[in-house]
Amino acid sequence: MRVAFVGKGGAGKSSLAGTFARLLAGSGERVLALDSDPMPGLAFALGVDPTDAGLPDDAVEEYEEAGRRRYRLRPGLTGPDAIERYAVRGPDGLRFLQLGKARGPRWSNTRPHWAYQRVLDDLPGDGWSIVGDLPGGTRQPFLTWGRYARTFLVVVEPSPASLLSGRRLARLAATAGAPQVVAVANKVRNPDDAERVAAGTGLPVVGAVPFDPAVGDADRLGRAVVDAGPDTPAVAAVRSLVDDLRNREEAS
Amino acid sequence: MKIAVVGKGGSGKTTTSAVLARTLARHGHETLALDCDTNPNLGISLGLSEEVTEHLVTVRDAVNAGDEAHAGSADDLVERFGTTGPDGVRLAVVSAIQNPEPGCP
Repeated sequence: MRVAFVGKGGAGKSSLAGTFARLLAGSGERVLALDSDPMPGLAFALGVDPTDAGLPDDAVEEYEEAGRRRYRLRPGLTGPDAIERYAVRGPDGLRFLQLGKARGPRWSNTRPHWAYQRVLDDLPGDGWSIVGDLPGGTRQPFLTWGRYARTFLVVVEPSPASLLSGRRLARLAATAGAPQVVAVANKVRNPDDAERVAAGTGLPVVGAVPFDPAVGDADRLGRAVVDAGPDTPAVAAVRSLVDDLRNREEAS
Repeated sequence: MKIAVVGKGGSGKTTTSAVLARTLARHGHETLALDCDTNPNLGISLGLSEEVTEHLVTVRDAVNAGDEAHAGSADDLVERFGTTGPDGVRLAVVSAIQNPEPGCP
């Protein structure tokens, strides 16, 4: 399975992506979790010790092509090698790799960012599931940060701003010719909220995650909700989402 | 007074910005709200409709289209491409991503 979570800032992408990755890994799959947000937060939701580090500067080398400066992984380093060497080991055997936190106004983030993108172009294939947490909003999710995904999960709250962001993402996805793009209704409180998300975004809704104080409680503690409240309604809803997507994939 | 509101996604930047802008305007200050998010939603938080927020012509689009030649100053740009919301807050959208082509991420 290769999925990427997108949506408005605050919609719940990191919480859902982290829980989704943990549940997949807990079911015995080999999982690579990717955080493409320069304000990273996925580590908390995964239950991995947070780190600001991205890939090291020397993971890439510069070269020139048609008069333009370009970057490639250093000789002898492949994407799977980079994951083996640099990805953090997390609970349930999952691996975690991140773009890395912006390192200040005078520090160039160019090399770690290009290294990360080159790894995205050479991810391990058979036997691995990839779960990505993308930056909030509409910043090139389909052709850049999530270009490895086979399914994009647009996380949408039943609120005007979140619905508007979902609509914009659906429009961008259609223009980009993106693969399967579906919505997950998050922080649902009313029976018709999932229908509101479907109507407001024009996307099929594949899951509805209830508003659950356990998610906020885990956030405040800096813990993964799957550890702090493994039997809470939100975690149960993400477990259903994992099962549904797995069934869809097997059927296709 | 010139204030910029920054922070992690979901921390409440847009809501804080809108309440600040409306409050300043209610106290008689001429207030300009600039939405610098490439996924601009500040209009909704200021109390404008989704339709106005979505269809607000962005300053950047206008500049790209060459209309800036007819606006001699920042005030002119806001006048030409902004809108007025509740309490008299002026709103201008700086930029919006309108296509999926990878540019600077």
